[in-house]
Amino acid sequence: MTKSATSLIDSAPGKMPATRLRQLSSVVFVVVWIALFFYETLRLNYLSPLLGRALPKLPLLYPPAGWIMFYQIEPRYGYAEVYRINGKSAELIDPHDIFATQAIGYDNIHRNMLVSVLDARRGEVFCAYLKRKFPDAGGFAIVHAEYPDLIASPDRVLRRVSYRCE
Amino acid sequence: MRAFLKERPSIGLSLFRPALAWTVGAHVIPSLFQLSDNYLHSGFKLKNGSFFPLSILGFVEASPDWVVRLVAILFIFSTVAFGLGYKTRLSCALMTLGCYYFYALNSLHIGTLSYDILLVTLTLVCLFNYTGDAFSLDQFRRGDVAGFWRLRPFFVQRLLQVQLTGIFWGTALAKFTVGGNWLTDNPYYALMHYPQQGVVRDFPLRSFLATQPDLCHSLGLCLIVFEFLVSLSWWFGRTRWLGIALGTAFQIMLWLTLHVPTIFLFLFPAMMLFFVPPEEWLAWIEQRRSYQASRGRAVLLYDGHCGFCKESVKRLQVLDLFGYIDLRDYHTVANLAAIHPSLSLARLESEMVLVEPDGRVSGGFDAFRRLCLRLAFLAPLAPFVHLPGAKAIGGRAYRWVATHRYLFLPRANHCAVGGSGGAAGSSSTKT
Repeated sequence: MTKSATSLIDSAPGKMPATRLRQLSSVVFVVVWIALFFYETLRLNYLSPLLGRALPKLPLLYPPAGWIMFYQIEPRYGYAEVYRINGKSAELIDPHDIFATQAIGYDNIHRNMLVSVLDARRGEVFCAYLKRKFPDAGGFAIVHAEYPDLIASPDRVLRRVSYRCE
Repeated sequence: MRAFLKERPSIGLSLFRPALAWTVGAHVIPSLFQLSDNYLHSGFKLKNGSFFPLSILGFVEASPDWVVRLVAILFIFSTVAFGLGYKTRLSCALMTLGCYYFYALNSLHIGTLSYDILLVTLTLVCLFNYTGDAFSLDQFRRGDVAGFWRLRPFFVQRLLQVQLTGIFWGTALAKFTVGGNWLTDNPYYALMHYPQQGVVRDFPLRSFLATQPDLCHSLGLCLIVFEFLVSLSWWFGRTRWLGIALGTAFQIMLWLTLHVPTIFLFLFPAMMLFFVPPEEWLAWIEQRRSYQASRGRAVLLYDGHCGFCKESVKRLQVLDLFGYIDLRDYHTVANLAAIHPSLSLARLESEMVLVEPDGRVSGGFDAFRRLCLRLAFLAPLAPFVHLPGAKAIGGRAYRWVATHRYLFLPRANHCAVGGSGGAAGSSSTKT
């Protein structure tokens, strides 16, 4: 819009000046954006317990549980192992061979990304994925491993098979 | 509210753009190198149902593989274009849509809490995109010297400031509320005992800290206090720079000790710079300009009758952030010898000439090579124009352009004789 057109609107009787309209819309946006930011920051862990009901989450923006980086760290550690089965022998597969994507500046495997395959509901898809990646393997075993107490017994690891791919 | 609505220079947002593009690219692009594992139908995918409505997840999942490949190519191009500031609004929109698309397709590799922070930031920047005002190809294409000083509503920067502070406070608060165990237990000590394959890197002091539970507990408490205080320090002039330095050091320390996504390392320090008032950046530029003026500026003589030359020097002005060059149309210079005794009209008619403060004279492509060494924005070209053979090829290309300069942008040429047809006609006599 040209400057003269803007000033015409500004001076038209009964009309809200364009600059004021722009300012008003900016004010509304700022208030709404800040309200949403603090709502999503506090919603799950503070507001919902306070009100005693689950408040709705805004889709497509903000994490589901606020800013909870490294907030709860226990002295135990669970992770996933994938074994290649050939006959009676089982060989541990390096997770980097399963998910070969290399992030810049950090290692996603160390962020325990493999743990997501433990859910047996994803078993069918993950088995198909493994068969495509390792066509020579006879089968696979997906194992849930856990250090029950990293400080008291750092070498003790409990393992149980979550599911198998035949 | 005035602090949000006031119009202030957008230079901070322009400085933020390359950092934002780099953060996005560094996080997402590596996952595109394994398309068949990560995003095509053969891949293993996780869906983030708490972030995306099911309808969107279903729609994205239905993408044929060729669409995924196409979006990947578009995404890479738009990220590079946004970083360079080319068609900034469009490239930002495409890049942001690409971020959402790949996140919806598979959250396994790129989906982290820090990625959610990145998306909030991207969305806000995209909605009010003033990031192309300066330090961009858009500014260069427009020849927009005033871009550095352009006033824009300040609320985008303010909201990003509020967001960053809120994230730090939220993170600190969660460590001792809502199940956070940093006051009751010793999480830092537990981290030091994480197994080899865990999130903690093998940094030098780790084995020592693993034997010091009390020290670890104190460090954990200090961390909470630090997160509260450092984000507060950004808001005050006296503590701002110290806070930014400490905040940056904290992100570097996080990255050195933990396998955390580099989004924190790349994005947060750049966001901390939003707390520097834009007027401070401009004052610094002006200070550098004054310093340059006091040391003497180089004189670049060009043909002011040639439209192409005028448009070119306008763009050169955009690149000359610190005022190194004093641009002069040689037609308006009464005494050429006063600038340098070796200058002649015949030479100036055939090429631009650069006279540096130390008296060094260079012309044509040589002058351009000298400018690549002197102007920060041309510095990336310096290695290429100094390659063996570049002088011969560049010199020949320059001479061809100089000879035909009146044929480019003929309407912008200065009509020296009469009114009609002078421009094109004069080119043949002049060149």
